[in-house]
Amino acid sequence: MRAAIVAIPLLALVAPLAIAGSPSDVRIDIRSDVVRKIRLHEEAFHASGDHGPQIPGAQADEVMANDLDASAVFTVTRGWNGLQPIEVQAIVGGEWNVSNGQIKLTGQVWDFPARHAILSREYKGPIADWRSVVHRFADDVVLQFTGEAGVAGTRIAFVGRQGNSGKELYVMDADGARIQPMTADKSIALSPSWAPDGSLILFTSYREGHGPRLYVTPANHGPIYLISGRPGNNTSASYSPDGREIACTLSQDGNPEIYVLDARGGSPHRLTDNRGIDTSPVWSPTGREIAFTSDRSGSPQVYVMDRDGGNVRRLTFDASYTDSPAWSPKGDQIAFVSRTSDGFEIDVCKADGSQLRHVVTGGSNENPHWSPDGRHLVFASNRDGAYGVYVTDLDDQPPRRIPTGGVVASSPAWSPRANENRAAGSADRSP
Amino acid sequence: MNRTIRILPLLIALVALAVLCGCASQPKKPPASPTQTSETPVPAPTTPAPAPTTAPAPSTAETATLHAEDLNPVFFDFDSATLDDKARATLDQNAKTLRAHGTAKIVIEGHCDERGTAEYNQALGERRAQAARDYLVAAGVGATRVEIISYGKERPFDNGHDESAWAKNRRAHFVIGS
Repeated sequence: MRAAIVAIPLLALVAPLAIAGSPSDVRIDIRSDVVRKIRLHEEAFHASGDHGPQIPGAQADEVMANDLDASAVFTVTRGWNGLQPIEVQAIVGGEWNVSNGQIKLTGQVWDFPARHAILSREYKGPIADWRSVVHRFADDVVLQFTGEAGVAGTRIAFVGRQGNSGKELYVMDADGARIQPMTADKSIALSPSWAPDGSLILFTSYREGHGPRLYVTPANHGPIYLISGRPGNNTSASYSPDGREIACTLSQDGNPEIYVLDARGGSPHRLTDNRGIDTSPVWSPTGREIAFTSDRSGSPQVYVMDRDGGNVRRLTFDASYTDSPAWSPKGDQIAFVSRTSDGFEIDVCKADGSQLRHVVTGGSNENPHWSPDGRHLVFASNRDGAYGVYVTDLDDQPPRRIPTGGVVASSPAWSPRANENRAAGSADRSP
Repeated sequence: MNRTIRILPLLIALVALAVLCGCASQPKKPPASPTQTSETPVPAPTTPAPAPTTAPAPSTAETATLHAEDLNPVFFDFDSATLDDKARATLDQNAKTLRAHGTAKIVIEGHCDERGTAEYNQALGERRAQAARDYLVAAGVGATRVEIISYGKERPFDNGHDESAWAKNRRAHFVIGS
């Protein structure tokens, strides 16, 4: 039953590829409208039982609609307006029940027009965490239609400045809600990077009054630990996909080079050795390769090397200055920034450097980072004035701004999925 | 405002006097970019800046405490840590001041303009601070007296977004160490 329903939209996605012939002939232009979105109609959640005054009601409807819309999978309508929505494929809705401070959402999806139930599942949590309850339903709807869960339940770490008191590390929901500062150092925090299980965030900071050092903080607050305070710069760290190692830049030898440390910051192993600047290492999802920035050829460019430092090859040749590589979670693409006359644009190419595409242009667009499903890139931009966090769905639509509540934001980093992150369970956790 | 108007004639008179005395060649102004060689001596209203302004070093510095204002910043081209002639001349002067101050320790901060990633600029800022340090050490300043720190693009001197601001921000800045 379920397999058959999933197969229909999947077939629509795969069909153009099958027609195109052998894989090497396939050219996927992400800026075209080849991949059509699935049309959903959202009905308002209705309340049942003995609910209290805290019931989120219409707010939950908004969160749900935004989650579905932001998934890049669906186009969402709400309210029939007396018109028959002939192109709608399914209807989403559900029922709230609140008792004893706990909320239960029975989320439902029906096909249209027959209104057979496609999905019906209960989601529970403390009422204070009702947003997570809605996000889990939304992510399951994406799963139902695509075979892969959505990312509404994920979070985004970033560094932000309020006034002139330095840059602090922040975490917010992927939709911009529930912004929380993770540091209060009145120093400079930079370059957050999530552990693959979402439990920790690595970052760079000047918090102890020295040069930049690497620290780690639990993603749900807790003590901050020093990871690397070696002489010189300790910067731009990222966890390996298995979480056991950290790639970073150290200048303890007098020149910025890329090292791999163990997860506690020990056993440094140097991967690069040249007179240029080598920085911003990021792992391929297999952990077998590392993309990084180097100015060994004169200006900064993105390179790829094997995990042991061998087999170095330059990825970018089309711009005078490229930086900030980000490897897609499926391993097939690398995003990076290219310098333009008025700032930086975000480009994406295949992991072998082919099929370069300009994804985000206009203003300065920096620090791209993939969502865990690879459907989106989060980045910092000043395209509307002050720096803020934006998300592109890698299509021809303008990127959407994620509100950061008056915090001037940069260096966003997308968390792993919530089920790897808060054990999906923060919603089910008893107080 | 009223006060400014009242002291304006006095200021003008002082400036005129300074010019007559030939003292105007001792500029008292915020750190200037390498391209800015002349400026009006009347301070213009600017946005508050974190870095202290520079002042000419007193020639009788031997007995005095070393102040950050005694050391002038040096400036760099975009994406460069190369010392040009003007930077070397400034560092020669700084080295002379430091040699005259026996054991005083300093920290050289490397800074960048806002373009490029935080991470790359942290490396570039370190390069700039290293270039200034290496020059001072070669000019006879004890290596143990000089520490370096890179702030990348995080602490601009000028918060503007044009070349004149960027030129002031691409710098090695000197502060007194502990």
